Amino acid sequence: MAGLELLSDEGYRVDGRRAGELRKVRARMGVFAKADGSAYIEQGNTKALAVVYGPHEMRGSRSKALHDRALVNCQYSMATFSTGERKRRPHGDRKSSELTLHLKQTFEAAILTQLYPRSQIDIYVQILQADGGNYCACVNAATLATIDAGIPMRDYVCASSAGFIEDTPLADLNYVEEAAGGPQVALALLPKSDQIALLEMNSRLHEDHLEQVIEAASKACKDVYAVLDQVVRDHVHEVTTLLGE
Amino acid sequence: MLLWFERKCLASLQLLTILYCSLRRKKSLWSLILVGFALESLKENCRPDGRELGEFRTTTVNIGSITTADGSALVKLGNTTVICGIKAEFAQPPAESTNKGYIVPNVDLPPLCSSRFRPGPPGEEAQAASQFIADVIENSEIIMKEDLCIAHGKLAWVLYCDFICLDYDGNILDACTFALLAALKNVQLPKVTINEETGLAEVDLKQTNPLNIRKHPVATSFAVFDDTILIVDPTAEEEDLATGTVTIVMDEEGRLCSVHKPGGSGLTAAKLQDCITRAITRHKEVKKLIDKVIKSIKIK
Repeated sequence: MAGLELLSDEGYRVDGRRAGELRKVRARMGVFAKADGSAYIEQGNTKALAVVYGPHEMRGSRSKALHDRALVNCQYSMATFSTGERKRRPHGDRKSSELTLHLKQTFEAAILTQLYPRSQIDIYVQILQADGGNYCACVNAATLATIDAGIPMRDYVCASSAGFIEDTPLADLNYVEEAAGGPQVALALLPKSDQIALLEMNSRLHEDHLEQVIEAASKACKDVYAVLDQVVRDHVHEVTTLLGE
Repeated sequence: MLLWFERKCLASLQLLTILYCSLRRKKSLWSLILVGFALESLKENCRPDGRELGEFRTTTVNIGSITTADGSALVKLGNTTVICGIKAEFAQPPAESTNKGYIVPNVDLPPLCSSRFRPGPPGEEAQAASQFIADVIENSEIIMKEDLCIAHGKLAWVLYCDFICLDYDGNILDACTFALLAALKNVQLPKVTINEETGLAEVDLKQTNPLNIRKHPVATSFAVFDDTILIVDPTAEEEDLATGTVTIVMDEEGRLCSVHKPGGSGLTAAKLQDCITRAITRHKEVKKLIDKVIKSIKIK
Protein backbone atom coordinates (compact mmCIF):
# COMPACT_ATOMS: atom_id res chain seq x y z
CA MET A 1 0.00 0.00 0.00
CA ALA A 2 1.51 3.29 -1.06
CA GLY A 3 1.18 5.74 1.79
CA LEU A 4 2.97 7.41 4.61
CA GLU A 5 4.38 4.92 7.09
CA LEU A 6 3.58 6.37 10.50
CA LEU A 7 5.70 3.83 12.32
CA SER A 8 8.54 2.11 10.50
CA ASP A 9 9.70 -1.44 11.20
CA GLU A 10 12.65 -0.16 13.21
CA GLY A 11 10.27 1.84 15.40
CA TYR A 12 10.84 5.33 13.97
CA ARG A 13 8.02 7.79 13.25
CA VAL A 14 7.75 10.18 10.29
CA ASP A 15 9.89 12.84 11.98
CA GLY A 16 12.46 10.37 13.30
CA ARG A 17 11.14 10.13 16.86
CA ARG A 18 10.58 6.97 18.86
CA ALA A 19 7.06 5.92 19.88
CA GLY A 20 7.10 7.49 23.32
CA GLU A 21 9.29 10.49 22.53
CA LEU A 22 8.04 14.08 22.80
CA ARG A 23 8.87 16.88 20.40
CA LYS A 24 11.35 19.50 21.58
CA VAL A 25 9.66 21.89 23.99
CA ARG A 26 10.95 25.46 24.27
CA ALA A 27 9.14 27.96 26.43
CA ARG A 28 9.54 31.50 27.74
CA MET A 29 7.56 33.33 30.39
CA GLY A 30 6.93 37.02 30.79
CA VAL A 31 7.23 37.90 27.11
CA PHE A 32 4.84 40.85 27.10
CA ALA A 33 4.99 43.95 29.22
CA LYS A 34 1.33 44.97 29.09
CA ALA A 35 -0.26 41.70 30.20
CA ASP A 36 -0.42 40.47 33.79
CA GLY A 37 1.03 37.14 32.71
CA SER A 38 2.26 35.86 29.38
CA ALA A 39 4.07 32.86 27.96
CA TYR A 40 5.25 31.54 24.61
CA ILE A 41 5.76 27.85 23.91
CA GLU A 42 7.08 25.89 20.94
CA GLN A 43 6.37 22.15 20.79
CA GLY A 44 8.20 21.03 17.68
CA ASN A 45 6.74 23.30 15.00
CA THR A 46 3.58 24.22 16.90
CA LYS A 47 3.93 27.75 18.29
CA ALA A 48 1.45 29.01 20.87
CA LEU A 49 1.16 32.22 22.82
CA ALA A 50 -0.88 32.67 26.00
CA VAL A 51 -1.75 35.92 27.75
CA VAL A 52 -3.53 36.24 31.10
CA TYR A 53 -5.26 39.33 32.43
CA GLY A 54 -6.60 39.27 35.92
CA PRO A 55 -8.05 38.81 38.33
CA HIS A 56 -9.94 42.03 37.68
CA GLU A 57 -13.48 43.35 37.98
CA MET A 58 -16.15 41.89 35.75
CA ARG A 59 -16.24 43.52 32.35
CA GLY A 60 -19.44 43.61 30.40
CA SER A 61 -22.46 42.14 32.16
CA ARG A 62 -22.17 42.29 35.93
CA SER A 63 -24.97 39.77 36.15
CA LYS A 64 -22.64 36.99 35.03
CA ALA A 65 -20.46 37.47 38.10
CA LEU A 66 -20.33 34.46 40.41
CA HIS A 67 -20.81 35.37 44.04
CA ASP A 68 -18.33 32.88 45.44
CA ARG A 69 -15.77 32.31 42.67
CA ALA A 70 -13.90 34.03 39.88
CA LEU A 71 -15.14 33.65 36.33
CA VAL A 72 -12.57 32.18 33.97
CA ASN A 73 -12.97 33.62 30.48
CA CYS A 74 -10.96 32.01 27.69
CA GLN A 75 -10.53 32.67 24.04
CA TYR A 76 -8.76 30.33 21.66
CA SER A 77 -7.74 31.85 18.35
CA MET A 78 -5.61 30.64 15.44
CA ALA A 79 -3.71 33.04 13.23
CA THR A 80 -4.94 32.96 9.64
CA PHE A 81 -1.43 32.07 8.49
CA SER A 82 -0.96 29.30 11.05
CA THR A 83 -2.16 26.42 8.92
CA GLY A 84 -1.14 25.13 5.48
CA GLU A 85 -4.35 26.49 3.93
CA ARG A 86 -5.23 30.03 4.99
CA LYS A 87 -7.74 29.91 7.80
CA ARG A 88 -10.66 32.16 6.94
CA ARG A 89 -12.17 32.45 10.43
CA PRO A 90 -9.55 32.80 13.16
CA HIS A 91 -12.10 32.37 15.93
CA GLY A 92 -15.84 31.97 16.31
CA ASP A 93 -16.05 28.83 14.20
CA ARG A 94 -17.18 25.58 15.78
CA LYS A 95 -13.79 24.00 16.36
CA SER A 96 -12.39 27.14 18.01
CA SER A 97 -15.49 27.54 20.18
CA GLU A 98 -15.20 23.93 21.30
CA LEU A 99 -11.53 24.34 22.18
CA THR A 100 -12.33 27.61 24.00
CA LEU A 101 -14.86 25.76 26.14
CA HIS A 102 -12.41 22.94 26.83
CA LEU A 103 -9.74 25.40 27.93
CA LYS A 104 -12.21 27.13 30.22
CA GLN A 105 -13.28 23.87 31.81
CA THR A 106 -9.69 22.71 32.24
CA PHE A 107 -8.59 25.87 33.97
CA GLU A 108 -11.64 26.13 36.16
CA ALA A 109 -10.53 22.81 37.59
CA ALA A 110 -7.01 24.01 38.31
CA ILE A 111 -7.22 27.68 39.34
CA LEU A 112 -8.23 28.39 42.95
CA THR A 113 -11.19 30.49 41.89
CA GLN A 114 -12.72 30.66 45.38
CA LEU A 115 -10.04 33.18 46.34
CA TYR A 116 -11.43 35.82 43.97
CA PRO A 117 -15.23 36.03 44.20
CA ARG A 118 -17.08 38.35 41.79
CA SER A 119 -14.03 38.85 39.60
CA GLN A 120 -12.85 37.70 36.19
CA ILE A 121 -9.69 36.05 34.92
CA ASP A 122 -9.09 36.31 31.14
CA ILE A 123 -6.96 33.72 29.38
CA TYR A 124 -6.28 34.44 25.70
CA VAL A 125 -4.43 31.89 23.61
CA GLN A 126 -3.17 32.46 20.10
CA ILE A 127 -1.73 29.79 17.82
CA LEU A 128 0.91 31.28 15.52
CA GLN A 129 1.84 28.04 13.77
CA ALA A 130 -0.17 24.82 13.93
CA ASP A 131 1.56 21.46 13.51
CA GLY A 132 -0.56 19.13 15.61
CA GLY A 133 -1.22 19.18 19.34
CA ASN A 134 -2.81 22.63 19.24
CA TYR A 135 -4.95 22.13 22.32
CA CYS A 136 -2.05 20.67 24.28
CA ALA A 137 0.32 23.50 23.40
CA CYS A 138 -2.38 25.99 24.43
CA VAL A 139 -2.91 24.36 27.80
CA ASN A 140 0.83 24.27 28.49
CA ALA A 141 1.25 27.91 27.45
CA ALA A 142 -1.76 28.98 29.51
CA THR A 143 -0.35 27.19 32.58
CA LEU A 144 2.91 29.11 32.27
CA ALA A 145 1.08 32.39 31.68
CA THR A 146 -1.15 31.87 34.73
CA ILE A 147 1.91 31.15 36.87
CA ASP A 148 3.55 34.28 35.45
CA ALA A 149 0.46 36.30 36.41
CA GLY A 150 0.77 35.04 39.98
CA ILE A 151 -2.67 33.44 40.04
CA PRO A 152 -2.71 30.52 42.52
CA MET A 153 -3.38 27.09 41.05
CA ARG A 154 -3.81 23.64 42.56
CA ASP A 155 -1.08 22.22 40.39
CA TYR A 156 0.44 22.68 36.93
CA VAL A 157 -1.85 21.62 34.10
CA CYS A 158 0.15 19.66 31.56
CA ALA A 159 -1.38 18.34 28.37
CA SER A 160 -0.28 15.93 25.72
CA SER A 161 -1.83 13.91 22.95
CA ALA A 162 -1.40 10.22 22.22
CA GLY A 163 -2.33 7.91 19.36
CA PHE A 164 -2.36 4.22 18.62
CA ILE A 165 -0.75 2.73 15.49
CA GLU A 166 0.03 -0.95 14.89
CA ASP A 167 -0.46 -1.93 18.53
CA THR A 168 1.93 0.78 19.73
CA PRO A 169 0.84 3.90 21.59
CA LEU A 170 2.49 7.07 20.17
CA ALA A 171 3.00 10.15 22.33
CA ASP A 172 2.70 13.79 21.18
CA LEU A 173 1.23 13.54 17.69
CA ASN A 174 2.19 16.01 14.99
CA TYR A 175 -0.09 17.19 12.17
CA VAL A 176 0.71 14.33 9.78
CA GLU A 177 -0.08 11.72 12.44
CA GLU A 178 -3.30 13.49 13.46
CA ALA A 179 -4.47 13.81 9.88
CA ALA A 180 -3.92 10.08 9.25
CA GLY A 181 -7.21 9.45 11.04
CA GLY A 182 -6.21 6.93 13.67
CA PRO A 183 -7.45 7.06 17.26
CA GLN A 184 -6.19 10.06 19.23
CA VAL A 185 -6.47 10.96 22.86
CA ALA A 186 -5.89 14.45 24.29
CA LEU A 187 -5.17 14.43 27.98
CA ALA A 188 -4.78 17.31 30.43
CA LEU A 189 -3.30 16.17 33.72
CA LEU A 190 -2.51 17.65 37.11
CA PRO A 191 0.81 15.80 37.52
CA LYS A 192 1.41 15.76 41.27
CA SER A 193 -1.98 14.33 42.18
CA ASP A 194 -2.31 12.35 38.93
CA GLN A 195 -5.78 13.82 38.39
CA ILE A 196 -7.20 14.09 34.93
CA ALA A 197 -8.62 17.54 34.15
CA LEU A 198 -9.69 16.75 30.60
CA LEU A 199 -9.73 13.61 28.46
CA GLU A 200 -10.93 13.58 24.90
CA MET A 201 -10.78 10.71 22.46
CA ASN A 202 -11.45 10.73 18.71
CA SER A 203 -12.00 7.95 16.22
CA ARG A 204 -12.43 4.31 17.36
CA LEU A 205 -10.30 2.48 19.85
CA HIS A 206 -10.83 -0.97 21.34
CA GLU A 207 -11.33 -0.79 25.12
CA ASP A 208 -8.47 -3.25 25.70
CA HIS A 209 -6.05 -0.67 24.34
CA LEU A 210 -7.47 2.34 26.16
CA GLU A 211 -5.40 1.90 29.30
CA GLN A 212 -2.16 1.66 27.31
CA VAL A 213 -2.90 4.86 25.42
CA ILE A 214 -3.87 6.80 28.54
CA GLU A 215 -0.71 5.51 30.22
CA ALA A 216 1.38 6.78 27.30
CA ALA A 217 -0.36 10.17 27.40
CA SER A 218 0.12 10.44 31.19
CA LYS A 219 3.81 9.69 30.87
CA ALA A 220 4.10 12.33 28.15
CA CYS A 221 2.30 14.85 30.39
CA LYS A 222 4.72 14.14 33.23
CA ASP A 223 7.64 14.68 30.83
CA VAL A 224 6.14 18.02 29.81
CA TYR A 225 5.68 18.86 33.49
CA ALA A 226 9.40 18.35 34.08
CA VAL A 227 10.24 20.77 31.26
CA LEU A 228 7.69 23.41 32.33
CA ASP A 229 8.82 23.23 35.94
CA GLN A 230 12.42 23.86 34.86
CA VAL A 231 11.29 26.83 32.74
CA VAL A 232 9.48 28.36 35.71
CA ARG A 233 12.44 27.87 38.02
CA ASP A 234 14.86 29.37 35.50
CA HIS A 235 12.55 32.35 34.99
CA VAL A 236 12.23 32.98 38.72
CA HIS A 237 16.00 32.72 39.08
CA GLU A 238 16.49 35.23 36.26
CA VAL A 239 13.98 37.67 37.71
CA THR A 240 15.42 37.53 41.22
CA THR A 241 18.91 38.06 39.84
CA LEU A 242 17.71 41.14 37.95
CA LEU A 243 16.01 42.44 41.09
CA GLY A 244 19.34 42.12 42.82
CA GLU A 245 18.51 39.47 45.40
CA MET B 1 17.35 73.70 31.89
CA LEU B 2 16.91 71.23 34.70
CA LEU B 3 19.75 69.22 36.18
CA TRP B 4 19.99 65.52 35.28
CA PHE B 5 18.77 64.53 38.72
CA GLU B 6 15.80 66.87 38.59
CA ARG B 7 14.88 65.53 35.16
CA LYS B 8 14.96 61.97 36.42
CA CYS B 9 12.75 62.90 39.40
CA LEU B 10 10.33 64.65 37.09
CA ALA B 11 10.26 61.62 34.79
CA SER B 12 9.56 59.15 37.62
CA LEU B 13 6.89 61.38 39.12
CA GLN B 14 5.26 61.67 35.75
CA LEU B 15 5.42 57.91 35.31
CA LEU B 16 3.85 57.36 38.75
CA THR B 17 0.95 59.69 38.01
CA ILE B 18 0.42 58.06 34.63
CA LEU B 19 0.37 54.62 36.29
CA TYR B 20 -2.05 55.87 38.94
CA CYS B 21 -4.29 57.41 36.31
CA SER B 22 -4.39 54.29 34.18
CA LEU B 23 -5.03 52.09 37.22
CA ARG B 24 -7.92 54.19 38.44
CA ARG B 25 -9.10 55.08 34.93
CA LYS B 26 -10.21 58.50 36.06
CA LYS B 27 -10.36 60.50 32.92
CA SER B 28 -11.67 63.93 33.80
CA LEU B 29 -9.84 65.72 36.61
CA TRP B 30 -6.67 63.67 36.50
CA SER B 31 -6.46 64.01 32.73
CA LEU B 32 -6.38 67.77 33.08
CA ILE B 33 -3.73 67.60 35.76
CA LEU B 34 -1.80 65.00 33.82
CA VAL B 35 -1.86 66.87 30.53
CA GLY B 36 -0.65 70.00 32.27
CA PHE B 37 2.07 67.99 33.95
CA ALA B 38 2.99 66.27 30.69
CA LEU B 39 3.25 69.56 28.86
CA GLU B 40 5.49 71.03 31.53
CA SER B 41 7.86 68.09 31.46
CA LEU B 42 7.80 67.85 27.67
CA LYS B 43 8.81 71.48 27.47
CA GLU B 44 11.87 70.43 29.43
CA ASN B 45 12.56 67.70 26.83
CA CYS B 46 11.56 64.92 29.22
CA ARG B 47 9.45 61.80 28.51
CA PRO B 48 8.38 59.15 31.05
CA ASP B 49 10.73 56.52 29.68
CA GLY B 50 13.64 58.95 29.53
CA ARG B 51 13.70 59.33 25.75
CA GLU B 52 14.38 62.53 23.85
CA LEU B 53 11.45 64.08 22.00
CA GLY B 54 12.83 62.90 18.67
CA GLU B 55 14.05 59.49 19.77
CA PHE B 56 12.58 56.16 18.68
CA ARG B 57 12.26 53.11 20.90
CA THR B 58 14.52 50.11 20.28
CA THR B 59 13.38 48.43 17.08
CA THR B 60 13.94 44.70 16.51
CA VAL B 61 12.78 42.56 13.61
CA ASN B 62 12.70 38.79 13.15
CA ILE B 63 12.03 37.38 9.68
CA GLY B 64 10.77 34.01 8.50
CA SER B 65 9.85 32.44 11.83
CA ILE B 66 6.43 31.13 10.76
CA THR B 67 7.07 28.34 8.27
CA THR B 68 3.39 27.71 7.42
CA ALA B 69 3.17 31.25 6.02
CA ASP B 70 4.72 32.15 2.70
CA GLY B 71 6.41 35.13 4.33
CA SER B 72 6.44 36.34 7.90
CA ALA B 73 7.98 39.01 10.10
CA LEU B 74 7.82 39.91 13.78
CA VAL B 75 8.52 43.55 14.65
CA LYS B 76 9.04 44.98 18.14
CA LEU B 77 9.00 48.75 18.61
CA GLY B 78 9.83 49.00 22.32
CA ASN B 79 6.97 46.97 23.84
CA THR B 80 4.66 47.18 20.81
CA THR B 81 4.80 43.80 19.07
CA VAL B 82 3.21 43.08 15.68
CA ILE B 83 3.50 39.86 13.69
CA CYS B 84 2.73 39.81 9.97
CA GLY B 85 2.02 36.61 8.05
CA ILE B 86 1.59 36.53 4.28
CA LYS B 87 -0.24 33.72 2.50
CA ALA B 88 -0.45 33.50 -1.26
CA GLU B 89 -3.47 31.97 -2.99
CA PHE B 90 -4.82 31.80 -6.52
CA ALA B 91 -7.68 33.91 -7.82
CA GLN B 92 -9.12 35.22 -11.04
CA PRO B 93 -7.92 38.73 -11.88
CA PRO B 94 -10.54 41.48 -11.56
CA ALA B 95 -12.66 42.10 -14.63
CA GLU B 96 -11.62 45.74 -15.10
CA SER B 97 -7.87 45.04 -14.99
CA THR B 98 -7.17 41.55 -16.23
CA ASN B 99 -3.43 41.74 -15.70
CA LYS B 100 -3.40 42.58 -11.99
CA GLY B 101 -3.33 40.48 -8.85
CA TYR B 102 -4.55 41.42 -5.37
CA ILE B 103 -2.92 42.40 -2.09
CA VAL B 104 -5.32 42.23 0.85
CA PRO B 105 -4.12 43.58 4.21
CA ASN B 106 -5.94 42.94 7.49
CA VAL B 107 -4.94 44.29 10.89
CA ASP B 108 -6.23 42.48 13.97
CA LEU B 109 -6.08 44.05 17.44
CA PRO B 110 -7.16 41.09 19.60
CA PRO B 111 -8.05 41.38 23.31
CA LEU B 112 -4.79 39.65 24.15
CA CYS B 113 -2.72 42.66 23.18
CA SER B 114 -4.31 45.06 25.63
CA SER B 115 -7.20 45.21 28.09
CA ARG B 116 -8.71 48.12 26.16
CA PHE B 117 -9.89 45.75 23.38
CA ARG B 118 -12.92 43.51 23.84
CA PRO B 119 -13.50 40.17 22.09
CA GLY B 120 -15.78 40.44 19.09
CA PRO B 121 -15.72 41.88 15.56
CA PRO B 122 -12.85 44.22 14.60
CA GLY B 123 -13.17 47.62 16.26
CA GLU B 124 -12.66 51.09 14.78
CA GLU B 125 -8.94 51.22 15.38
CA ALA B 126 -8.28 47.86 13.71
CA GLN B 127 -10.36 48.76 10.68
CA ALA B 128 -8.74 52.19 10.38
CA ALA B 129 -5.29 50.57 10.57
CA SER B 130 -6.25 48.03 7.87
CA GLN B 131 -7.39 50.83 5.60
CA PHE B 132 -4.20 52.80 6.29
CA ILE B 133 -2.03 49.83 5.29
CA ALA B 134 -4.14 49.30 2.15
CA ASP B 135 -3.58 52.97 1.23
CA VAL B 136 0.18 52.69 1.85
CA ILE B 137 0.38 49.63 -0.44
CA GLU B 138 -1.62 51.39 -3.14
CA ASN B 139 0.15 54.75 -2.95
CA SER B 140 3.73 53.63 -2.50
CA GLU B 141 3.60 50.92 -5.22
CA ILE B 142 5.66 48.67 -2.99
CA ILE B 143 4.69 45.85 -5.34
CA MET B 144 3.26 46.32 -8.81
CA LYS B 145 0.04 44.35 -8.98
CA GLU B 146 0.98 43.44 -12.55
CA ASP B 147 3.85 41.36 -11.14
CA LEU B 148 1.27 39.17 -9.38
CA CYS B 149 -0.45 38.16 -12.60
CA ILE B 150 0.29 34.64 -13.84
CA ALA B 151 -1.98 34.31 -16.87
CA HIS B 152 -3.82 37.27 -18.36
CA GLY B 153 -7.46 37.21 -17.39
CA LYS B 154 -7.27 33.69 -16.00
CA LEU B 155 -5.00 33.37 -12.97
CA ALA B 156 -3.30 35.72 -10.57
CA TRP B 157 -1.82 35.66 -7.08
CA VAL B 158 -3.67 37.04 -4.08
CA LEU B 159 -1.39 38.02 -1.20
CA TYR B 160 -3.26 38.00 2.11
CA CYS B 161 -1.25 40.09 4.59
CA ASP B 162 -2.49 39.44 8.11
CA PHE B 163 -1.18 41.53 10.98
CA ILE B 164 -1.74 40.46 14.57
CA CYS B 165 -0.79 42.84 17.33
CA LEU B 166 0.55 40.80 20.22
CA ASP B 167 1.35 43.64 22.62
CA TYR B 168 -0.13 47.13 22.29
CA ASP B 169 2.01 50.01 23.50
CA GLY B 170 1.22 52.72 20.97
CA ASN B 171 2.42 53.43 17.42
CA ILE B 172 0.72 50.51 15.72
CA LEU B 173 0.90 52.07 12.26
CA ASP B 174 4.69 52.28 12.21
CA ALA B 175 5.06 48.73 13.45
CA CYS B 176 2.57 47.36 10.89
CA THR B 177 4.22 49.17 7.96
CA PHE B 178 7.63 47.90 9.00
CA ALA B 179 6.29 44.36 9.44
CA LEU B 180 4.68 44.53 5.99
CA LEU B 181 7.95 45.54 4.35
CA ALA B 182 9.97 42.88 6.17
CA ALA B 183 7.43 40.12 5.47
CA LEU B 184 7.12 41.00 1.76
CA LYS B 185 10.90 40.82 1.45
CA ASN B 186 10.70 37.33 2.91
CA VAL B 187 7.98 35.96 0.60
CA GLN B 188 8.97 33.17 -1.78
CA LEU B 189 6.41 32.40 -4.48
CA PRO B 190 6.61 29.09 -6.35
CA LYS B 191 6.84 29.07 -10.13
CA VAL B 192 3.48 28.50 -11.81
CA THR B 193 3.02 27.39 -15.41
CA ILE B 194 -0.26 26.93 -17.22
CA ASN B 195 -0.49 23.57 -18.97
CA GLU B 196 -1.40 24.28 -22.64
CA GLU B 197 -3.64 21.24 -23.13
CA THR B 198 -5.59 21.03 -19.87
CA GLY B 199 -5.56 24.75 -19.06
CA LEU B 200 -4.75 23.90 -15.43
CA ALA B 201 -2.03 25.52 -13.37
CA GLU B 202 1.03 23.51 -12.43
CA VAL B 203 2.86 24.63 -9.32
CA ASP B 204 6.55 23.83 -8.95
CA LEU B 205 7.29 24.11 -5.23
CA LYS B 206 11.00 23.50 -5.68
CA GLN B 207 11.52 26.63 -7.77
CA THR B 208 10.64 29.70 -5.76
CA ASN B 209 11.21 33.34 -6.56
CA PRO B 210 11.19 36.28 -4.18
CA LEU B 211 8.85 39.20 -4.83
CA ASN B 212 10.06 42.25 -6.71
CA ILE B 213 9.92 44.99 -4.05
CA ARG B 214 10.05 48.27 -5.95
CA LYS B 215 9.81 50.80 -3.18
CA HIS B 216 10.46 50.69 0.55
CA PRO B 217 7.89 52.79 2.39
CA VAL B 218 8.61 53.52 6.05
CA ALA B 219 6.11 55.15 8.40
CA THR B 220 6.95 57.62 11.16
CA SER B 221 4.29 58.64 13.67
CA PHE B 222 4.19 61.72 15.86
CA ALA B 223 1.95 62.79 18.71
CA VAL B 224 0.97 66.44 18.97
CA PHE B 225 0.46 68.19 22.28
CA ASP B 226 -1.46 71.44 22.24
CA ASP B 227 -0.33 72.65 18.78
CA THR B 228 3.22 73.17 19.97
CA ILE B 229 5.04 70.03 21.01
CA LEU B 230 5.73 67.10 18.71
CA ILE B 231 7.05 63.77 19.98
CA VAL B 232 8.10 60.86 17.84
CA ASP B 233 6.99 57.24 18.39
CA PRO B 234 4.39 57.76 21.16
CA THR B 235 3.71 55.02 23.69
CA ALA B 236 0.13 54.10 24.59
CA GLU B 237 0.02 56.54 27.53
CA GLU B 238 1.42 59.37 25.41
CA GLU B 239 -1.14 58.62 22.67
CA ASP B 240 -3.97 58.79 25.21
CA LEU B 241 -2.82 62.19 26.43
CA ALA B 242 -2.01 63.65 23.02
CA THR B 243 -4.31 66.11 21.32
CA GLY B 244 -3.52 64.84 17.82
CA THR B 245 -1.37 62.45 15.80
CA VAL B 246 0.43 62.66 12.45
CA THR B 247 1.85 59.77 10.44
CA ILE B 248 4.22 60.33 7.52
CA VAL B 249 5.14 57.55 5.08
CA MET B 250 8.26 58.09 2.97
CA ASP B 251 10.10 55.97 0.47
CA GLU B 252 13.81 55.84 -0.27
CA GLU B 253 13.81 58.52 -2.97
CA GLY B 254 12.54 61.07 -0.46
CA ARG B 255 9.04 60.89 -1.93
CA LEU B 256 6.04 61.24 0.33
CA CYS B 257 3.72 58.24 0.00
CA SER B 258 1.21 59.26 2.62
CA VAL B 259 0.55 62.01 5.14
CA HIS B 260 -2.09 60.89 7.61
CA LYS B 261 -3.39 63.47 10.06
CA PRO B 262 -6.78 62.35 11.39
CA GLY B 263 -8.19 65.51 12.94
CA GLY B 264 -6.81 66.61 16.28
CA SER B 265 -5.21 69.95 17.13
CA GLY B 266 -3.82 72.08 14.34
CA LEU B 267 -0.25 71.97 13.05
CA THR B 268 1.67 74.74 11.29
CA ALA B 269 3.37 74.08 7.95
CA ALA B 270 6.76 74.60 9.58
CA LYS B 271 6.05 71.87 12.16
CA LEU B 272 4.90 69.54 9.40
CA GLN B 273 8.17 70.17 7.59
CA ASP B 274 10.05 69.19 10.78
CA CYS B 275 8.07 65.95 10.80
CA ILE B 276 9.03 65.23 7.21
CA THR B 277 12.70 65.85 7.97
CA ARG B 278 12.58 63.43 10.91
CA ALA B 279 10.80 60.87 8.73
CA ILE B 280 13.67 61.00 6.22
CA THR B 281 16.25 60.13 8.89
CA ARG B 282 13.99 57.39 10.26
CA HIS B 283 13.77 55.88 6.79
CA LYS B 284 17.54 55.53 6.64
CA GLU B 285 17.62 53.84 10.07
CA VAL B 286 14.92 51.35 9.13
CA LYS B 287 16.40 50.58 5.71
CA LYS B 288 19.75 49.79 7.32
CA LEU B 289 18.08 47.45 9.81
CA ILE B 290 16.13 45.58 7.15
CA ASP B 291 19.18 45.19 4.90
CA LYS B 292 21.14 43.79 7.84
CA VAL B 293 18.46 41.22 8.63
CA ILE B 294 18.00 40.14 4.99
CA LYS B 295 21.76 39.76 4.58
CA SER B 296 22.02 37.63 7.73
CA ILE B 297 19.35 35.27 6.40
CA LYS B 298 21.05 34.95 3.00
CA ILE B 299 24.35 33.97 4.61
CA LYS B 300 22.78 30.98 6.37
